[in-house]
Formats: sequence, structure tokens, C-alpha cells
Amino acid sequence: MKGKKLKPGHIENALNQFLKEEQHLVLGFQKGENGVSHQIFKGSIDHYSLLNPTFGANAALYLRRLFSKGSQVMLMLRPCEIRAYVELHKLTQIEREDIIAVSIDCPGTVSSKEKKDDVPTEVDQLTEYFKNPDSMRWACSVCSEKRGVLGDAGIRIDKAGNFWIIPYTEKGEPLLSLVEGEPEEVPAEMLMGETKKAEKFQVDMATFDKDFEKCIMCMNCRDMCPVCYCIDCVFHGDEYLPKGDALLNKIFRTGSTKMPQGKELFHLIRMYHVSQTCVGCGACEEACPQGIPLTKYFKGISERLQGMFAYMSGRSFDEPIPYITFLEDELKEAED
Amino acid sequence: MNVPVTPQVERTSHVLRLQEGGNMAEETKNKNPEIVGFACSFCTFKASEMAGSLRMKYPEGVKLIQVPCSSRVDPAFVIKAIFEGADGAFVAGCHPGDCHFIKGNYFTRRKIAALKEMFDAFSMKEKLKLFWVSAAEARRFVEKVTDMYNEIKERKNEREKA
Repeated sequence: MKGKKLKPGHIENALNQFLKEEQHLVLGFQKGENGVSHQIFKGSIDHYSLLNPTFGANAALYLRRLFSKGSQVMLMLRPCEIRAYVELHKLTQIEREDIIAVSIDCPGTVSSKEKKDDVPTEVDQLTEYFKNPDSMRWACSVCSEKRGVLGDAGIRIDKAGNFWIIPYTEKGEPLLSLVEGEPEEVPAEMLMGETKKAEKFQVDMATFDKDFEKCIMCMNCRDMCPVCYCIDCVFHGDEYLPKGDALLNKIFRTGSTKMPQGKELFHLIRMYHVSQTCVGCGACEEACPQGIPLTKYFKGISERLQGMFAYMSGRSFDEPIPYITFLEDELKEAED
Repeated sequence: MNVPVTPQVERTSHVLRLQEGGNMAEETKNKNPEIVGFACSFCTFKASEMAGSLRMKYPEGVKLIQVPCSSRVDPAFVIKAIFEGADGAFVAGCHPGDCHFIKGNYFTRRKIAALKEMFDAFSMKEKLKLFWVSAAEARRFVEKVTDMYNEIKERKNEREKA
């Protein structure tokens, strides 16, 4: 595989050249006074950062219902964000034609909820800092897909700490030509290797009740989930989570109820609805004001359910989502 | 606004009635589980009607909900049924390949198989079942439903004793 080695300043120059066109945008990270954050660049790049040590939100969330007419958007994002973008494309929420997706090797992130002062912002120090799995948030420490091998091009880190840009599709080639230097053979082994799979997720309802005791049903987890995309969610209206009169009528019908009611309903239904598309990014846990270990449940369930169909969310554009396709001869053990 | 008005008196009397006969009503309710069944209107629901006309008996705790096709059942319905009081739920449709809408029940199979896997992860696998019952199989319908009912009843009574 051919790619180009990135020297300091190379990627910034390339992106600046890309942004010279009027209709071009770049979604990436910017180094600010108070840390690194997502930024949509127009015109030119300044204070650009390849990596972002804090998670914040999954940027695929901002891409929903993106049907750009004639503009070109380059995504310079983490693998989990590119995977969510791939899933959203399959769910017909994003048009793929005008997007160039570049996935960048992700050493890990810390939660934006914890104020950690010792987190470096320089790119080369970051890989060193995240060598220890305890230094990152839980969702990242169990992440099995930190490699930037998705999308139209990838930026990989080799064992010596050099950055490489590698095109995967035709759309990635123009970006490579913007970068200075000659294409070279890419080293076979990179810093991020494949990681082993976690064991099967198993809990019971008692543990669930204990973990979700603190839940206040603010539904931030739903709102910040990149793949929970329905405009008219089933939890709007009174059918699942009644309010006001509907709630009182229900209580007259069924008896005393602990409030907020419907926690199992909300989380289990949502868990099922995103089961095949969940990328395990942990944006829900990041958004939870009560610190509920949501990633443990959502990632665990989605890994089990995706495993049934040998599917992995965001792996490729060609695999259809399992619930919208079928084989005639399968799942004999499911019937009773 | 369309607010149902219930006279205050009736509410109190309802509560009182519950308290008076509470013990007995609760006992029978505890012993007899309730099962919600989602039945395809072209197969399983027809089979249940046939079972009725043949005077076959199946437990009265089984409440059938007619759906136009088994793939109409969003797993959210099943989860709602179980967390709002049902002791079990089943989804029943035509045999694979016999769907009135050509391929609806293939989707059902994938969806419910995944839901079963999820219930398995939460250690409550026994609460959900998936049946294939055609319109002619009244006997099979009664057998399947009664088996499921007895299984759940047994487990429930055991739990109650412990």
C-alpha cells in the first residue's frame, strides 16, 4: 500500500489548498485556549490539531440530514465518528457523494466531564500519555477499533511515531496529491494493532435497576447519540411514557408507580433500536448528567446482537443493516 | 379537550373494592400469569379462531393481539408488554416462506431472534417466544400456547414459594 509520510505542517498546507475552493469545508479539530474542540473550517485552517484528547460529542451528530448541494466536506475525524457516518449513510441520513471521510488513528480520549490538567495537547505526547489504558475514559479503554482504516483515506501512526496518509478509495487520492512529498511504501505494522474481542455481555435486571437507579429520564443519551436518528421518536407522545392526564389515568388503572417511570422501557427499547448501528463511542455516557455506565450496556448488547449476524457497525458501505435484509435459511434455533 | 372524566365517588369505591377483596383477587392474579401474544391475522389469529370453533381450550391468561403481519411487531411492543405487567410474550406468524406479504416473517425472525439474544443478555430469556403457526394448525397453536403458559406458571409459583 502506498502512502505519504507527513512532516509537521504538511497536513495544514494540504487542507489550506483544499479550502481555497469556495464550496469546500473541513470538519476537524481546533486547538483553542481551553483545549481542543470540533471545528468546521471555511476559507483557511488555523490552530489545526489532528488529534483531540477530549471526547465531547460524536461529530457524526452534526452531519445528520446533510444533503450538501455542490459543496465538498472533508471529515478529519476519529474512527468512531467515521463509523457513525457510515451507518447514517446506510440509514439514508447523509449523502455520501460530497463527503471525503478521513479517519485518523485514535490513541484514546478522556471524558470532557473530568477536568484533567495533565492531558497534553501536542500530538506526539498524546500517544505516549494514552499508553496506559487507565488514563482514558472507559468506552475508549475497551474500544476495539481505534485504527484509521475506514472511509476514503486514513491517517495512521507508525511504531516510530511518524504520521502516514494513506488513500483507500478514489476520492481519497486528490487529498494525497495535495500533500508534499513522494508516495512511499507504508510500513506493515502500525502503532494501533487489532485488539482482542471482549467477552460476552451478561447481566440481570437487578443489576440494571441498581445501575439505572439514578436515571432522571432527561433523554440526553438519546439526543446525543449519533445513530439514534428518528425525527419522530417513539417516546414522543403518550404511548410509551405518558405525562399529565395520560399518566394519572394509567396510575388509576394500574396502581402506585415509582417516578420517573418507564426507565426499563426507555433504555431497553433504545438499546434494541440502536443495537445494529451502535458504534460504541460512548457519547451517551458522556452526555449523561448522572454518570450512569451506559456504554457498558449499549456496547455490550450491540456487540452480542451484531455478532449474531457477523455484522459490525460502520465497517463497510456494502454490508446492509441486518434488520432490513434476510437469508431464507437461517436462525433455525430462534423458533420455539 | 378530550379528558376522560371519572367521578370521584367511583374512584374511591374502586379503591375500596380492591382493598376488600384484595387478598383473594391478588392470589388468583399471582398464580395465573398473563401472556401477551402478537398474532399474525392471516395465520395464527385464524388458527386461534379455528381453535375456538373446534371448542379447544387454551388458558385464559393468554391475550392475543391481532397484527396485520408478524413483522408489524416492533420489539418495542414486546418490551412494553413485559415491563408493564405481562409475565411473558410471544410473537407468532406464518411458517417461513408462507407469508401473505411474501417475506414479512423473514424480517420477523431476524428481529425477534435479536430481541431474544438481548433478553438472554438480561437473563430473562424464558419470557419471549417465537412460534410459527399456520391457519390450519389449531391444535399446534393450543399446544404451543398451553406449554408456554404452564412453563411460566410453574416458574412463577416456584419463585413465589422461595
